[in-house]
Amino acid sequence: MVIRSIERTAVRLHILLFVLIAAHLFLAFMLWRIQVAHGHLYAQDELRQSVRRVQLPGMRGRIYDRQGRIVVDNRPGYGIAMYLEEIRRPGPWARTIDHVEQIIQDLSEELDTPPQVSREDIQAHVRRRLPLPLMAWRDVDERIMARWAEQSSLRPGVDLTVDAVRVYPYGAVGAHLLGYVGRAEAVQDPGEPFHYYLPDVEGKSGIEAFLDSYLRGRPGGELLRVDAVGYRHHLLGRRDPEPGDDIQLTIDLEIQRIATEVLGNRPGSIVVLDPRNGDVLAMVSAPGYDPNLFVPSISAYEWRKLVDDPRRPMINRAVAGRYVPGSIFKPVVALAALQSGRASPDMVFHCPGHFDLGNTRFHCWLRRGHGDLNMRQALERSCNVYFYRLALQSGYDHIYGMGMALGLGRETGVELNHEVRGLLPNDAWKRRVHQDAWRDGDTCNLAIGQGPIVVTPIQMAVMVSAIANGGQVVHPRLVKGIKAHEEEHFHMREVQTPRTLAWPENAIEAVRGGMFDAIMSPSGTGRRARVSGVEMAGKTGTAEYGPPDAGLKYAWIIGFAPYRDPRYAFVIVVDSGVSGGETAAPMLRDLMSGIRDYEAGAGGPGT
Amino acid sequence: MNLAAVKERLGRMDWLLNVAAGILIVLGILFIYSASFQSDELPVTGFYRRQIVWAVIGIGLYLGMTLWDYRRVAELAGWIYALAMVLLVLVKFVGHEVYGANRWLFVFGIQIQPSEFAKLALIIAVARYWGRPGSLQRDGRGTIITLLMAGLPFALIALQPDLGTAAVLAPIVLCMLFVAGVPLRRLAILGLIGTLLLPVGWLNLNAYQRDRIMVFVDPGRDPLGAGWNKMQSQIAVGSGGLTGKGYLEGTQNILGFLPRTVAPTDFIYSVIAEEAGFAGSVLVLSMFGIVMVSGVRASLAAKDVFGRLLAVGVTAMLFTHIFVNIAMTIGLMPITGLPLPLMSYGGSFMLSCMIGLGLLQSIYTRRYQRL
Repeated sequence: MVIRSIERTAVRLHILLFVLIAAHLFLAFMLWRIQVAHGHLYAQDELRQSVRRVQLPGMRGRIYDRQGRIVVDNRPGYGIAMYLEEIRRPGPWARTIDHVEQIIQDLSEELDTPPQVSREDIQAHVRRRLPLPLMAWRDVDERIMARWAEQSSLRPGVDLTVDAVRVYPYGAVGAHLLGYVGRAEAVQDPGEPFHYYLPDVEGKSGIEAFLDSYLRGRPGGELLRVDAVGYRHHLLGRRDPEPGDDIQLTIDLEIQRIATEVLGNRPGSIVVLDPRNGDVLAMVSAPGYDPNLFVPSISAYEWRKLVDDPRRPMINRAVAGRYVPGSIFKPVVALAALQSGRASPDMVFHCPGHFDLGNTRFHCWLRRGHGDLNMRQALERSCNVYFYRLALQSGYDHIYGMGMALGLGRETGVELNHEVRGLLPNDAWKRRVHQDAWRDGDTCNLAIGQGPIVVTPIQMAVMVSAIANGGQVVHPRLVKGIKAHEEEHFHMREVQTPRTLAWPENAIEAVRGGMFDAIMSPSGTGRRARVSGVEMAGKTGTAEYGPPDAGLKYAWIIGFAPYRDPRYAFVIVVDSGVSGGETAAPMLRDLMSGIRDYEAGAGGPGT
Repeated sequence: MNLAAVKERLGRMDWLLNVAAGILIVLGILFIYSASFQSDELPVTGFYRRQIVWAVIGIGLYLGMTLWDYRRVAELAGWIYALAMVLLVLVKFVGHEVYGANRWLFVFGIQIQPSEFAKLALIIAVARYWGRPGSLQRDGRGTIITLLMAGLPFALIALQPDLGTAAVLAPIVLCMLFVAGVPLRRLAILGLIGTLLLPVGWLNLNAYQRDRIMVFVDPGRDPLGAGWNKMQSQIAVGSGGLTGKGYLEGTQNILGFLPRTVAPTDFIYSVIAEEAGFAGSVLVLSMFGIVMVSGVRASLAAKDVFGRLLAVGVTAMLFTHIFVNIAMTIGLMPITGLPLPLMSYGGSFMLSCMIGLGLLQSIYTRRYQRL
């Protein structure tokens, strides 16, 4: 009886065995599914939650002047970093944060320097950038470094770091054209997403901004493993950042320095161009600022001071200053009239000190009048009446056309942001803005560079270059060459072919002659610019602006030298001067004599 | 018993079971080390050493049980059952509270978990009941008495509360009744009643237990709370791939995504699967398969109903733990906190498993003996 029952249980036992084996096979199948068939999906999940990508900024390229002088450089900046994974405390976050704060407090006493990060900063760091080191002090000075070195005990989790800090060795010289850098906005690259970005700088103005993509280099990256809490566990891999390209400028720092000195603190601008190829040899705007103020970051106080200054030191007047040209526009009128064929250099007009157009009387700046003048004399003495009549004789269209051909009312395309177009008014413009037709009175105003016309110093530099080189409208440029970090030599950029204006020979001769006399003749308006040993041509200008009774005047002088084979084209403008002849001409003299001495010594800018 | 008899007895052991259990215990210790060597907490880093001690004691018990004639156990079945119930009652009143549940008793400074021994005691008692002459013929009455015998420890363990361990009693009893020859129709009715009682069980669950089940139904429900362990365990297993990340190289475990508190215990299989890959996890699964086959073989070898059902009960207990633990590790079942036999860190369960396996050997080595 019992035996038979046991035999019956054996059948059930075999069924049970079958079920057990089936269950194991089922588990094995599920393991295969999750580990082999879908393993890559879980591997991705695993990476996603434990691997963080950190972007490392590349070192910015340097900027050189045309002689190879370093005008923008990097220096090592030492910081004190705290590695939180080594100083973490178990339990609530507050304990770790307390501990970090305590270490900073201790260090602060030991190094005798106030803390740079607050408790809020530590909390923000823990919340957002836990796997990265917390920078307790950035860019510490030598005194703190010395104290750090004297420290007897090594602190776990605290160490020195070094990174590159932008430095402008010549301070305010060239500040506007070089620009400055500031903290970069992290831009998510969809092709290479990063979780964290180490602080990087980007160019905020000047060449630093315009050529930022070259200077910046290629960022590197780090792959970090983080633990479940989010602390850095170990480094998985690293790609070193590549340094940015070096830039060579057309600027000659010595000329830039002389020009900066000449302009001083007077609001205004100086541009020196090589009329043969458009190389900008110097570009000064005043008042200026020291770009080193922006490194590593500018204080709110200093920033407000710069931004709120009514003299607007942040504006680069050379490309963004809106000026009325005044008499320096007269050569354009002369060239337009001569090219139109409706006037000749020998034509003589009488200047009684005024010119009546209908009921309106236009004055010459010399109330007693210049008497009879030909074109060369009119340019030398800057007679207004001559140019009223010359302009009316040639007609407005020719003057407008010549201005357009010389690039007025358009950006010159020099390698800087925020260049302004200026304004060369015409009939269409006047109808649009003033709902009125262009009249002869407007032509008379334009003839002496007054009225709504607006120009920039860089435009005037292109204009005077064309007169200097006989009708070539050059493309002004600041960048001479670019060199990748690993390369030895700069790749020189080709000079863009200038536009050639077919000016009649006698027209060039008359205008250049008049401008020669303006400087070299004892009765020339620009005679105060004369420099012994240099033959120079030029034209002064005094342009009224602002409210009619304010008496505000732009003092201009343009010029080129040497007269026979010009290598320099100059533009000087001072925002509030007495007149071009009295304010600007002596500045040109100082600038030219500085360049003469420089050439006598070191050899000058070359080509 | 003289030395020659001991040697003869040991020579008749199921060596396949010895080898499989040995491999599992050694792997268990190795991976407990892997799961805890990164921990900052002192007791955790020493887990593997303690497990070695437990394993040595376990092997001693295993051999002792092998030598001890299992039929002597039958004679003590009533006392064993009574003692286990007393311990379960004691633990409710003087037990040591961990995570809001009273599961532990301190005896001579050692923590023991009476519920583990209660499972064995129940198996012995049920086998003893069905082993009496005539019991198999009156299976209707036997089923009710079995249910009553199981009901008492179930209630006591569920009250600790440790619903997971309590629930293990159900498949054990079901398997024993099945092999005892209870008609399938009756077993089906039992299953139906159990299912109908589920909502009652749900109402009696704690909030955290409901969370675990809800998370199983909807994994995205609370990824940082109750869903965390399940999700991280799945990622650990899945990212192990075919051959694993290498011993001591499991990132889920090293970086603490798989919480260090559960990695050496309930989630030891997940550490193995991550570091040894599919190859390792299937190797371990095969070893458990051999243990299962050995259990059924011992049962078949038994010459009496007590031995047969005893082996079935032990096998069913081991199987339930293995299946539920692995299924939980790979995300097929809610998190229940059932340890993996022979591998999870923990003394009481190691000892009760080794006693169970020793009982299997005790039955198997006596396969040629006449009743």
